[in-house]
Amino acid sequence: MNETRKWILHRVTAIILAPLFVWFFFSLISLSTKNYQEAIYFFKSPLFTVLTIILFFIGFFHAKISLHEIFEDYIHNKKIKDVANILALILSIVVPIIILILLIYRI
Amino acid sequence: MKDNKNPLSPHIQIYRWHISSLLSITHRIVGVVNLLALILMFFWLLTLSLGENNYELFLSAINSVFGKFILIGFIWSMSFHILSGIRHLIWDFGYGFEIKIANISGIIVIISSLLLTIIFWLLGRGLI
Repeated sequence: MNETRKWILHRVTAIILAPLFVWFFFSLISLSTKNYQEAIYFFKSPLFTVLTIILFFIGFFHAKISLHEIFEDYIHNKKIKDVANILALILSIVVPIIILILLIYRI
Repeated sequence: MKDNKNPLSPHIQIYRWHISSLLSITHRIVGVVNLLALILMFFWLLTLSLGENNYELFLSAINSVFGKFILIGFIWSMSFHILSGIRHLIWDFGYGFEIKIANISGIIVIISSLLLTIIFWLLGRGLI
């Protein structure tokens, strides 16, 4: 990915992410005072399911771009940097996919 | 890196902190903390999918003193990162670079992130 596109995607994902993150975190804080049934009921809504999946994919994508920048600045050993980037990439793909599967099949 | 003798900047030990540099590094740290928050949210959903017993256990951890401390910390890190991010976006559009304005916007970010944290927690927990 070229750097300009990365820069733009970083900003675009940030703008999408801000309201989603606030909404989702607020929902979780509200659910923290409620029981299991109410939490399940919350995620039964298709709209909420879709928004949650989008949040995780975009959130981890935004994090991936940011981590790349941070590694670029603070890790000077190229090998370690490459490994760190691969780990970040795996994390940013695996976690959202697990969420996708959980929300569609388990919850 | 071919030449490791090049000076690195800034030298933290003799560095005079400004609001701008303090907020810049905090924005980064808090961004990484937000990734941890996202991972906590992942476990939230994971335990929810593992059934009622596991979820109740998770909830009791979240509602302990330590759990609440973590949650409030994450709320602040989210608030700060979003507000500071808006400040960055405004810069990206080319506004607010004057030192005086950058200092004022920095202070606004700090104060409103704290206020937002309090409001968010009280509303979310149903305390107001």
